[in-house]
Amino acid sequence: MNIGEPRRIIEVEPVTLPVPEVLPDAMPEPAPPERVPERVPERTPSEPGPGR
Amino acid sequence: MSLELLAPLEALRTVDPVVGWRAWALGGRRDGSEPRLRPITGRGRPWPVRRPAEATCGLARLHGAPNLHCSCGLHAATDPESLRRARDPAVVGTVALWGTVIEHDHGYRARFAYPQRLRLVCTFCFWRWGLARSRAEVVGLLPRGRLVPLCRDHAALSRRYGLVPRHLFDARGVQQELLAAYAVDPLPV
Repeated sequence: MNIGEPRRIIEVEPVTLPVPEVLPDAMPEPAPPERVPERVPERTPSEPGPGR
Repeated sequence: MSLELLAPLEALRTVDPVVGWRAWALGGRRDGSEPRLRPITGRGRPWPVRRPAEATCGLARLHGAPNLHCSCGLHAATDPESLRRARDPAVVGTVALWGTVIEHDHGYRARFAYPQRLRLVCTFCFWRWGLARSRAEVVGLLPRGRLVPLCRDHAALSRRYGLVPRHLFDARGVQQELLAAYAVDPLPV
């Protein structure tokens, strides 16, 4: 392709790049939140036990 | 180089990308999947997906591309008519150019580029009649893994002259996958 002789130099600094953004479904899935084991409340001696 | 080039060129600063026209060859897997834009000349890599193509100069490593006194840079034409002389046009479309862009009489050379609108064209119709009358209906897998979009008439004609595609794929499906890969819109007919 012959584009001829150079005529002008243009310095283009776009505010936003003319490139599509990566779609959400193309993003890596976030890691699942770390599971913290539930704390079982300890029974104090003063509490009545079951069946009392 | 003409003496005219020795005179300083006009320079312009802008925030609006320059839009030009380009033709590409079509690359991809042998089953027609993962279609990609490939440079028509040379054995260049496919144009990257969802990130800008950046020019480098293969002739001289001492300057950045595009250089005023070289032919390097990502080329584009000012109108699609001039692309009819391209060697194997399979995809035609518009392309945004930015960074340093050298404007020529009939086109541009740029540092960065990304396609904006794309369409598969029947290579033979495009050579003969241009963009308006070039509609790809099938994509033929030719020897050496070349993918060539054709209209049904030229697909039949190529068989008659012994150029038998190993497979024919539906051009609409290939084009949709190409548009999805680059996340761009189709070039209107």
